[in-house]
Amino acid sequence: MKRKTRLEKREEEELVVMGPSGQFREIWPEIDPVYDSDTSTEDVQNTVGNIPMEWYDDFPHIGYDVNGQKVMKPAIGDELDKFLDKLDDPDSWMSVKDDLMQRDVKLTDEELEIIRRIQMHEIPDKDYNPYEPTVEWFTSKPMVMPLTAAPEPKRRFVPSRWEAKKIMKIARAIREGRILPRKTQAEPPRFYDLWTDTEQSRSDNPMHLPAPKIKLPEHDESYNPPEEYVPTEKEKEEWEKKDPEDRDKSYLPKKYSSLRAVPAYDKFLKDRFERCLDLYLAPRVRKNKLNIDPESLIPKLPHPRDLQPFPISLTLSYDGHADRVRTFSIDPTGLWIVSGSDDRTIRMWEVTTGRCVQKWDVEDIVYSIAWCPNKDIWIFAVTLSNKVAFISPRLMCSEEVSNFAAKYASAGFNMQKADKKPSVVEWVKPTENQRQNGYIVIISHLHDHTVKQVTWHRKGDYFATLAPDAGTQGILIHQLTRHHSQQPFRKIKGLVQRVIFHPIKPIFFVATQRYVRVYNLTKQELSKTLLSGVKWISSIDVHPMGDNVIIGSYDKRLCWFDLDLSARPYRTLQYHRMATRCVAFHKRLPLLASCSDDGTIQIFHGMVYNDLLQNPLIVPVKILKGGHNIVNSLGVLHCEFHPSHPWIVSSGADHKINLWTC
Amino acid sequence: MTQVLPQIQVRFTTNQRQYIVTDSAILVPTNLRRYGLSEIINHLLGTEKPIPFDFMINGEFLRSSLDEYLKIAGLSTETTLTLEYVESILPPRELSAFQHDDWISSVKIEQSMIVTGSYDNKIRIWNTSGECKQTFSGHDAPVKSIDLYCVQGERTICVSASQDRTVRAWSILEEDYNDRCGLMYECRGHKGSVECVRFDAHGNQVASASADSTINLWNTLPPDEDELVTPETSHISREKPEIYVKKPEATLLGHTGPVQAIVYDDEYGSNRLYSGGWDHSVRMWDVESRVNVDTKNSDKVILCIAYSDVNLTKITLSSHQNWVSSLTWSPVSAYILASASYDGTLKIWDIRSKTPLYTLSQRDNSKKLFCVDWNNGIIVSGGEDCQLRVYSGDKIHGESVSSE
Repeated sequence: MKRKTRLEKREEEELVVMGPSGQFREIWPEIDPVYDSDTSTEDVQNTVGNIPMEWYDDFPHIGYDVNGQKVMKPAIGDELDKFLDKLDDPDSWMSVKDDLMQRDVKLTDEELEIIRRIQMHEIPDKDYNPYEPTVEWFTSKPMVMPLTAAPEPKRRFVPSRWEAKKIMKIARAIREGRILPRKTQAEPPRFYDLWTDTEQSRSDNPMHLPAPKIKLPEHDESYNPPEEYVPTEKEKEEWEKKDPEDRDKSYLPKKYSSLRAVPAYDKFLKDRFERCLDLYLAPRVRKNKLNIDPESLIPKLPHPRDLQPFPISLTLSYDGHADRVRTFSIDPTGLWIVSGSDDRTIRMWEVTTGRCVQKWDVEDIVYSIAWCPNKDIWIFAVTLSNKVAFISPRLMCSEEVSNFAAKYASAGFNMQKADKKPSVVEWVKPTENQRQNGYIVIISHLHDHTVKQVTWHRKGDYFATLAPDAGTQGILIHQLTRHHSQQPFRKIKGLVQRVIFHPIKPIFFVATQRYVRVYNLTKQELSKTLLSGVKWISSIDVHPMGDNVIIGSYDKRLCWFDLDLSARPYRTLQYHRMATRCVAFHKRLPLLASCSDDGTIQIFHGMVYNDLLQNPLIVPVKILKGGHNIVNSLGVLHCEFHPSHPWIVSSGADHKINLWTC
Repeated sequence: MTQVLPQIQVRFTTNQRQYIVTDSAILVPTNLRRYGLSEIINHLLGTEKPIPFDFMINGEFLRSSLDEYLKIAGLSTETTLTLEYVESILPPRELSAFQHDDWISSVKIEQSMIVTGSYDNKIRIWNTSGECKQTFSGHDAPVKSIDLYCVQGERTICVSASQDRTVRAWSILEEDYNDRCGLMYECRGHKGSVECVRFDAHGNQVASASADSTINLWNTLPPDEDELVTPETSHISREKPEIYVKKPEATLLGHTGPVQAIVYDDEYGSNRLYSGGWDHSVRMWDVESRVNVDTKNSDKVILCIAYSDVNLTKITLSSHQNWVSSLTWSPVSAYILASASYDGTLKIWDIRSKTPLYTLSQRDNSKKLFCVDWNNGIIVSGGEDCQLRVYSGDKIHGESVSSE
């Protein structure tokens, strides 16, 4: 009915106005809020909502009414006015401030009544009756006319099978004794062992790690320890002087006459704290221990005792040289040694007695000396600056032998030179004076560089000379019987350190600073390059069987190459503390040695098997120390094995030559 | 309260008749050593001046207290020990030292004559008072070895081996050192340095060992002409034309390395020859048939050999710190020997004791000793220090040889 009236009203008062966009807009009549409408009871004029009203403190208005008009702030007096108003107005006690409208509102009687009831802890609504009579909608009593007419189910009066099963299960358990009915509560024992292992094993968690146990107290922690545990005054003083961290015990044993006299333990808190720290900070990790016998990891090497004989002790010393002995050579019979030294002499020694039997004075430092490996040819070669001289020590051999050697070496003078090519060397006859001293032939190189090495081929006819600074003319191969020299390499890569002939095959080894080049002399080609991996090769030797090569290097290493295996070292041994100067194989026995600037000679057992499948066995067996002193950081300069016995001869910068025997 | 020392029953026996004591067992404390036991014997003998004795149990010298011996042998104090005692030998005294020009390679002593071979190629003859009676020079290289043979009532023949590959025989007359002394003949045949030379027991034969791994046998008859004509001998400028070159009677081949030492077996009529060398073998040769009868191998190089006719035990003696260069048996005892070593010491051994009896060392230990000889109570040694040292060994007596 009301709606109808509104519609009617609208029809009557409809107005149309022109909007700003040029369209017509209806203007609706003002709504008259009747009692039923939502806002009928509200006379709120401010529409800002539930916001903090201090936002409007700086404005003249306090909000907006329904129509969007500003509601202006009512005039408010100062605090004094307010106070005076309160005094004047007898109803001020029942007025409250309406925040929204910024004015005082007087409470009605009903509102006052509600406040009073709340203050009295009563129900605010005075019309509410808490004690209304109950209405029994559902009752426990069977009714004549029940609400549902369903018949009573069977399960209500048939015994339950499920329950019977459960009971039977329990009954069976009781019969079997798994369940003890009326079990008596086990009384906790009154006395118990304080020190037993109270920690139960917690098997449910495999990662559980029990906390480490506290150390049990010892005798000296007793309140009345035996006399021997009580520290003396001096011990006490010492203990006190020590840092708390350095003390072996954190307490001092003290003696009390009775337990009564023992004071309270002053470090209890500290102890607990430290225990907690230990438990908290100490990482407890389950370590998976590999159960490997450490012995089994060590390679199975034979004991050096089983590898005898090898040189063990210093037997003889060949004293006489006045400067460092760079080189020496043992004659193939093993009876004599010739040595060349920086004091510009060559000396010949008897091996067994250490007697110097002959001495030659030369003009230059002797860098290399080598006996002819053929036993029948009593001759040795020696380098003298850019010359190589061949000397046959007459005194120590029969005339026949020396004549044979002289004939052998000087036969080439009569030979017609087939090719007229300009030779790189000149074969010179010695002067009469030199001839008296045993000189037979002298090779004079055309270059002016020092020849540093002379090395023989096994048969004692060919030999090679090396002058590292002479470039392409540095390496020459000569034939003694024909007095023929040739230059095997047209160009040489790198600085050549050593050259050596293969003992059996026509193979020539050239050791440069980092590589060893293996040349085939018959095919005249490079057959292999050994990559040593060391910085500077000092020396090289070839195993008498010919398939293994060792090199020594200035960076302390000794590398063993198996030529059949690879171009890289089969084994690299670094046992010396300083540069390795010389390496050598024994001619007959499975021995090798290296000597070094640290003044020691190391002897290795180096067994090479004929079986190709078996790798060489290398066992360090002995370090020969104490024979040589280090002079100007130079130690042992040269070492060589005796041709037949397990003896080694070494020469050093301390002017000595030593013989080490087993 | 004094502690009761453990005691043991011992029975003393001796081979030396003058020192025999009671045969019954005596209780002695076990802590006694040689000195204490020696005191007991002296007390039993009632000697005025105490005589030192050495004690042997089962042929080995007692070098510890009885207590320690029992412990090692595993015996209880209930057993009865039999102690054999001999008069102690006294340490050799150094008598004098004769200076040489060069190293002494070998020395021999015969009666009052000491002959040395030296590295200055010379052979010197000394009397015991240190006078150099005569010097033989002729070798072109160091003399390595010498040996002497005394022809009764006539003269002494000396053979010398040298690095010049020759063996030379020299005759020595003790009374007058005139022109009848000197080189008798020269033996050539070795191709290497001759390391050792020895006479046989009768002076009929000389054996020489060389570095060319051969042993040559020579007879001692002076040759009437050059038995060997080689280019070497042909142009030798001889001082005396009647001196001829001799060639070897036989050559024994078998050694595979230089032969260092050689010795005749004096007992069996010098028919046995022993040699040792760098091939680690000791070879026994039958001289008549020139056959290598037996070969014994050791694991070390053999530098010297000495022969004793009473070989009782087989032992290894080790105390030297370096090579042993020379050995000699005591002329009076079958148990005692002397050894010279490259470590510069001279040691006197009794083969019944594992440790040397006496060690005679020089002031400078680095000087090698090359040779030692023992005869007529005198021990002589020579070496690198060019000193011929003479020791008196007359207090070292052969108690057991005389009694056997």
